[in-house]
Amino acid sequence: MLSIRTPRAAIRTASISFGAITFATSAHAHEAWLLTPDEIVALAMEPIPAIFTSYLVLGLAAVIGCIATMAALFVEEQVQPIEARLEPTLQTAAFAVGPLVLRLGLAIMLALAATGGLPRHGTAMWTQPTLLVPDMQLSLVPGWDLLVPLQIGIAILLAAGLFTRVIGAVLIGVVGIGLAVFGSKFMAYAPHFATPALVLILVGSGPWALDQIIGLSTRLTPRPAIRQAIWRLAQILVGGGFVYLAVVYKLTQPTLLIAILQHGEMPTFGLSYPVIALIMTGVEIICGALLIAGRLIRPVSLVIIGAITFLAVVLGETPLFHANLYGTMLIFALAGRTLPASISGPTEFRRVTA
Amino acid sequence: MKRSTLSRITPIAIVAGLLASLAVGAPSYNTNHTAPRAVFLSLPTDLPTPQVSLTARQDPSGNWVLQLDTQAFQFVELCVPDADALPIGHAHIIRDGVKIAAAYQPVIDIGRLPPGQHRITAILRGQDHRALLGADGLISTEIVIDVPRLGNQI
Repeated sequence: MLSIRTPRAAIRTASISFGAITFATSAHAHEAWLLTPDEIVALAMEPIPAIFTSYLVLGLAAVIGCIATMAALFVEEQVQPIEARLEPTLQTAAFAVGPLVLRLGLAIMLALAATGGLPRHGTAMWTQPTLLVPDMQLSLVPGWDLLVPLQIGIAILLAAGLFTRVIGAVLIGVVGIGLAVFGSKFMAYAPHFATPALVLILVGSGPWALDQIIGLSTRLTPRPAIRQAIWRLAQILVGGGFVYLAVVYKLTQPTLLIAILQHGEMPTFGLSYPVIALIMTGVEIICGALLIAGRLIRPVSLVIIGAITFLAVVLGETPLFHANLYGTMLIFALAGRTLPASISGPTEFRRVTA
Repeated sequence: MKRSTLSRITPIAIVAGLLASLAVGAPSYNTNHTAPRAVFLSLPTDLPTPQVSLTARQDPSGNWVLQLDTQAFQFVELCVPDADALPIGHAHIIRDGVKIAAAYQPVIDIGRLPPGQHRITAILRGQDHRALLGADGLISTEIVIDVPRLGNQI
C-alpha cells in the first residue's frame, strides 16, 4: 500500500511513524492549515470512525490504557535506585543547560512571532505578526499592536538573560492577555506558555546570562516550599495542556487527525488510520495525566521531546513551532519529579556538589 | 506506609478516572458532531442555507475576473479569531486544488491564467476562515475555465 521510493522518503516515513505512534503533541490546531483544499472538501464528508463512537471500544481502550499505566509505574519503581544515583548529576545539568535552552527557544519564538517570521502554513513570511504562535494573528484583534514591541522586548531580555524571573512573570501576563483577547482558541496554547514562564521564575537565567554578571541570578528566588509548589503546578499545567489538546483536537475531532496522518502519508503497519489515531490520542492523554500526577516525569518528557522533533521534521514544520516546549521538557527530563530542597541555581549547585 | 500506598494509587486513579470519563463521554459527543470544528463552522439549521455560484470573464488586460453570486450570505472584510455561526465572511478561491485568493467582495481579479483547463472552486468561509457547513455540507461552487493556447476564451 505504501511505496517508499527514496532514502529521504524512507527516513520521512520512519520518522512520522515514531512520532505519531509514540505521541501526537504536534497535531495542534495550526496543523489544520496543512490540509489542501481538496483534503478539506473530503474531510467535510468524512464520517466519524465507528471506534470513536463505540462505548465498547473506548471502554476497552481505557482498560488497556490503565494496565499500561500500571506497568509503567511498576517499572518506574524498579528503576528508582538507578535514577536516584543519577539524580545529582541530572539536576546539576538541569540548572546549567536547561535555562539557556528555555530562554533562547522562547526568545526566538517571541521575536519571530512579533515580526511575522513564524507564520502559519500558507501565509507569507513577515506579513502577519502573531501572538506567540502562528494561529494567533494580531490583525484579527485590532488595537493590540502593542503586543509586537512587548514580545520583542521580552525576547531581547530573555536572550540576554536579564531580569529573567521578572520576565517569566510578564510572560504569564502575556498568556493572560492572549486568553482575554483571543478567547477559548488560545486555551490550546496557554498552558504550554504559562508553564515555561513558571519554570523561568523557578530556575532563573542559568549561567551565560547578564543576571549572573550583575548579580541578579539569586534575587527573587522563591522560597523552597513555594518552589516545590510552583514545580508541581508547572507539571500539572503542562500535563493538563496535553490532555486538553488530546481531548479537544483528537478524541472529539478524529477525522481531522486522520486527515493530517493521511496528508503526512504515514505508514500504517497493517493498522487502520482510525486505530492509529486512537492510539495516539490515548498515549497523549496518559502522558498528560502522568504529568498531572507528577509521575514518570523524565520518560514522559523525553517522549515529548522526541515526538515533537520527529513530527516537526516529517510535517515540514519548523521546530520553532514548539520552541516553548523544548527547554521546558529538557528541564523536566533532567530535574525529574522534585526540585532539590536547598538549591536554587547553578551557583549554589556548584557550592554544594564541590 | 500509608503515604506510599497513596502515592501508588493516586496516579492510577487519575489515569483511570480520566480515561473512564472520556470513554463514557466521547461516544455520545462524537455521534452528534461529525465535521471537525477546528476546520468547519456549522450553520444553524434554522437559518437558510447560503448558496453560491460563480462566473468568469476576461478583462481587456487579459486578467480573469470572477463574479460570485450568493444568496443568504454576506461578504465582510473583517476577520475575527473565533467567529459566530453566521452566514457572513468571505470565499476562498481555489485553482486546480491550490488556494490562490480570498474574496472579501463578490468580484475578484485572479490575474492571468496559463493555457489549458483550470478548475476554479469557490468555498464560502466564516469570519475566522473556517469553511461554512450548511445542511448539505460545504457551500461551494466550481467552474472550468478553458484557456486556449492562442487567445483566451471560457
